[in-house]
Amino acid sequence: MDWYYIQGILILSGINLLAVLGLSLLTGFTGLFSFGHAGFMAVGAYTTAMMTVKLNMPFTLALLVGGLAAATVSLIIGKLTLNLKGDYFCIATLGFGEAIRLILDNVQYFGGARGWPGIPRETGLMNVVVWNVIAVIILVNLIKSRHGRNMQAIREEEMASQIIGINVFKYKMISLAISAAYAGVAGGMLAHYTGFLQPRMFQLIKSTELTIIVIFGGLGSISGSIIGAIVLTSLPEILRTFHQWRLVVYGASVIFIMITRPQGLMGGYEISITNIKKLISHISSLGREKTTVGGDNK
Amino acid sequence: MTTILELKNVTKQFGGLTAVGDMNFQVKKDSISGLIGPNGAGKTTIFNLITGIYNVTEGDIIFENNKIQNMEPYKIADMGITRTFQNIRLFKKLTTYENILTACHYNTDYSVLDAVIRNKKFKSGEKKLVQQVQALLEIMELTDRKDVVAANLPYGLQRRLEIARALALQPKLLLLDEPAAGMNPDETIKLMRLIQQIRDEFNLTLLVIEHHMDLIMGICDKVVVLNFGKKLAEGTTQEIQTNPKVIEAYLGEEDVIC
Amino acid sequence: MSAFLQQIINGLSIGSVYALMAVGYSLVYSIMNFSNFAHGGVIMIGAYIGFFLMTAFELPFIAAFGLAAIGAGLLAVTLERIAYRPLRKRNAPFLYFIISAMGASIFLENIVIATIGPTFRTYPRVFSTTPFQLGAISLGRLDAVMFIISGLSLLLLIYIIEKTKTGMAIKATAYSIRASTLMGVNTDRIIFIVFGLGGVLAGVAGVLFGMKYTVYPQIGFITMKSFIAAVFGGLGSLPGAVIGSILLGVIETLTAGYFSSQYRDLIAFVLLIAVLIWRPSGLMGKITEDKA
Repeated sequence: MDWYYIQGILILSGINLLAVLGLSLLTGFTGLFSFGHAGFMAVGAYTTAMMTVKLNMPFTLALLVGGLAAATVSLIIGKLTLNLKGDYFCIATLGFGEAIRLILDNVQYFGGARGWPGIPRETGLMNVVVWNVIAVIILVNLIKSRHGRNMQAIREEEMASQIIGINVFKYKMISLAISAAYAGVAGGMLAHYTGFLQPRMFQLIKSTELTIIVIFGGLGSISGSIIGAIVLTSLPEILRTFHQWRLVVYGASVIFIMITRPQGLMGGYEISITNIKKLISHISSLGREKTTVGGDNK
Repeated sequence: MTTILELKNVTKQFGGLTAVGDMNFQVKKDSISGLIGPNGAGKTTIFNLITGIYNVTEGDIIFENNKIQNMEPYKIADMGITRTFQNIRLFKKLTTYENILTACHYNTDYSVLDAVIRNKKFKSGEKKLVQQVQALLEIMELTDRKDVVAANLPYGLQRRLEIARALALQPKLLLLDEPAAGMNPDETIKLMRLIQQIRDEFNLTLLVIEHHMDLIMGICDKVVVLNFGKKLAEGTTQEIQTNPKVIEAYLGEEDVIC
Repeated sequence: MSAFLQQIINGLSIGSVYALMAVGYSLVYSIMNFSNFAHGGVIMIGAYIGFFLMTAFELPFIAAFGLAAIGAGLLAVTLERIAYRPLRKRNAPFLYFIISAMGASIFLENIVIATIGPTFRTYPRVFSTTPFQLGAISLGRLDAVMFIISGLSLLLLIYIIEKTKTGMAIKATAYSIRASTLMGVNTDRIIFIVFGLGGVLAGVAGVLFGMKYTVYPQIGFITMKSFIAAVFGGLGSLPGAVIGSILLGVIETLTAGYFSSQYRDLIAFVLLIAVLIWRPSGLMGKITEDKA
């Protein structure tokens, strides 16, 4: 394995991570499930590419425009469907994601179903890392504020949230828009990594993959999402030699995770300095207890 | 004493079924009022109507001279009405501390952007909230449980936490839906004292649904009795206890008075 | 005018196959309140079973047909055992069921690609391609067969649901799974039967679909449209699923006939979103108010 190959895997993981972080806010912290995030990635990807290719905009600015475009589209979708209950919202996002893809199939300006080659390859390891660091900081700061707490309250108990004065619809919209913006930027980065865009890249399976990563990492855990994105993006790449069988294993492991460890890798906990300290002190206090009590029945 | 809440000819129908019919009553400011009646009499429905969870079919609900019927629940909370639930609805996976902290969100106003860049406004806002939560934890005697996840609290403390969370909004009117459900007589007496203490310390008005008659008769200034979605009687606890219609309704349903 | 009628007839024929698939989604939804996205995989496997029985084993059409239906039924029941039952026992939220279903669908699709290969396979021709001529309108023999078999299967299903004791139990369980458990209904058995019924119909639909078009591993995606039809009619409602499917089939063929076949898939998804926005419970679904 040469560095170029490893770098490629890291960049892909980083791009996925960006989208997963966004989805984590929506699914892990607000309790809304989406099967349409590939659609937001597509909106971001095509918008960003249009900005750089057709309007010669600088890449960073173009990514911001891509994110903004995805967020705007999400607000329209949200306005129409966020008051639907449970899995109906989920189905609506699925319909949206597929509709976006099928529309792009027919937009000849972007190359239609055949694809759009010749997009400048501007995504590198460096800017992927920088964008992800910024994304994590924004997310952590948001979650540890009254706004993030309101979102978590909605996830836990929607009716009680309303009763304590949380505008549930507004917070769902904020969460959806931020989450779509992340997906949009991720889409833009993907377009400028592969240098080629095709509606097929944003199929339902892509949305599913993102949701699976969030659940694998553990709902409501940012560190879980990070580990999940890296493991679940690189594993299939490393297993590429097994070719067709890797997706078989993938499907089977998804079922396996659902039925054995539904709380995910981190089960809602975070890896942070304070938590590690707590864990260490917990372990050492356990050790002390054992020496004093003699560890008879615990 | 002025009237803080008034229900005027309020009717709620589900399909063809009338859950609450032509309901009229007033709640005086700073009072504790009781809402009693057999199961299915429409008590919780009235709470759902006042707090905006259900839309009224007909009639007006007036709070401090504003019509509030059919307003969004969060706006009603904004105006100063909040409640607890019969089947406790806490933020189960959050700790006691986080439950109250979340409900304090009103008392600061930094924006999403302020939070993301962690500026001064955010920091001073959060500081204010932390102080408020600590004060509430003290009053409600929950300080030693502040890091316990809500779902793991004993039942009685969950009810207490739900009241604490409601108080975090600094409401003017607090609706308690069967606060003593599942409590033993000792706990019920403690709860009665707590309710009175809350009223005095927080200057608020209380409306309580309860099946424990000791509690209702012990603390309420006024009681409204419901039966089959209609108002059966209204008056002081003494008047209610001697009202023949109430006695009849309750004798018909022996198992209700526990 | 006759061109229009022709489109309608084609629409009815494809709509009836959608209906066979859609009732599978609706049956499961009515009992378990989640969208079983693995259903597409079961349909695909049904199509493959039928294909191999007819080509490699040279079984007659009817035999292959019946065995494919049974095979798909068994598969659906097995999936329920492995992928959903553990979640059910734990009262997991609906999303876990959906993810598990998606996992199953990925698994089924790729195990076929890995073992049989991704190529398109064409069913041997059973019916002559010369259509019945009814005046200016021609009706393909296969289309007629599709319509008749689908109709008969659906009638059988309706009979089971409406007239048998098991059907009563299914309806009771759909109404309230908790209450019916208390009343002594064995919900495990009901869910087994529901998945079995859905699977058998999926097998029938798979073979018909394969004969009309071709068989390939991603057939499951096409069946997404029958899911849309189920939502269109109101998830959980059997008559809704049938009416939704027929309507979708007709709308699709009209779109393909009068605009462009490229928009045929798009119209289905746009329709899905539109229905969710204007009438989320579908044509026949019921609206419920949340209880505090």
